[in-house]
Amino acid sequence: MDAKAIIDTLSSQFTGVIYDAQVESDIRILAKVKNENVKDICQYLKEELSFGHLCCELGVDHPERNEIEVVYVIGSYEHPVVLTLKAILPRDNPEIESVVPVYWNANWYERETYELFGVKYLNHPDLRPLVLPQDMLGEWPLRKDYKGFPNKTAKNLV
Amino acid sequence: MAEVEPVSTNNKDDMQEEIPGVMTTSTSAISDFLKKTKAQDLINWGRKNSLWFTVNAMGCCGVELLSTGMAHYDTDRFGIIPRNSPRHADVLIISGYVTKKYFPALKRIWDQMPAPKWVIAFGDCAISGGPFYESYSTRQNIDEVFPVDIYVPGCPPRCEALIQAFYELQKKIVAKKDKGTDY
Repeated sequence: MDAKAIIDTLSSQFTGVIYDAQVESDIRILAKVKNENVKDICQYLKEELSFGHLCCELGVDHPERNEIEVVYVIGSYEHPVVLTLKAILPRDNPEIESVVPVYWNANWYERETYELFGVKYLNHPDLRPLVLPQDMLGEWPLRKDYKGFPNKTAKNLV
Repeated sequence: MAEVEPVSTNNKDDMQEEIPGVMTTSTSAISDFLKKTKAQDLINWGRKNSLWFTVNAMGCCGVELLSTGMAHYDTDRFGIIPRNSPRHADVLIISGYVTKKYFPALKRIWDQMPAPKWVIAFGDCAISGGPFYESYSTRQNIDEVFPVDIYVPGCPPRCEALIQAFYELQKKIVAKKDKGTDY
């Protein structure tokens, strides 16, 4: 299947849930999804369209729009297409369903997005900080309005 | 070495251990006396020729640290041997950035090492923060926490630089200028 066929199949299966879909090139598709349906879409992609590889899952902060985007980059071993899905969450209370039951490797991606952006993943098996110490939880260092950066305590600078 | 008040041993109940023909003491009076004599030179000669270091690779400088201890640079000829347990080691090499999550573990390694012990700050990150000097997740000014004797600049420094750092540390120990012992 090429990129056009994949996005047509997906849009017809989930009408109104997937919007702003665009085919960026022969190998890239970009689409936005409603955040309460992310797990169903991932389930369908994995089982019906053989998109079995979650390459990456990350967060993007947009303070001017008061939004946090959660981006899923999903690849396939059968189609030469990489699919980018974006779910848009409110910035003051970002919550989204975890996709760990579908893609098990999302576990650490979601823990990292949780500690850096504060996105709460519902029904995640083990949601705790991955690389930051426990007492830094709640600072959300990769949000744009984080006050702790730049840290000016270094003294031995030349 | 903190000053310890001499414990009165006149009372038999205060005696910690009763060994026939042996006097025991709980003060550091003997070592304090030895520091003023020529015997300390002999002790320092022994210490400088067995500087065992912890294998504590913390950043990319850790790769240089590991290869320094291996066959090509062969630091065994100076008595500098990598030890995997901090309880066997004399030198702590801070080889890279210290993240806030790793800092308690590093402090624990330092507390486990038996005195006399020395610290080498290896690489720009350990000295000044390096490229992470503004980071939210690294701890800065590590020389305020550990008594650093030798600073090795470089990003990363070469293995020869680490060997020279040990050589300078040996010279400091011979000159009684090191921070590992309180003269």
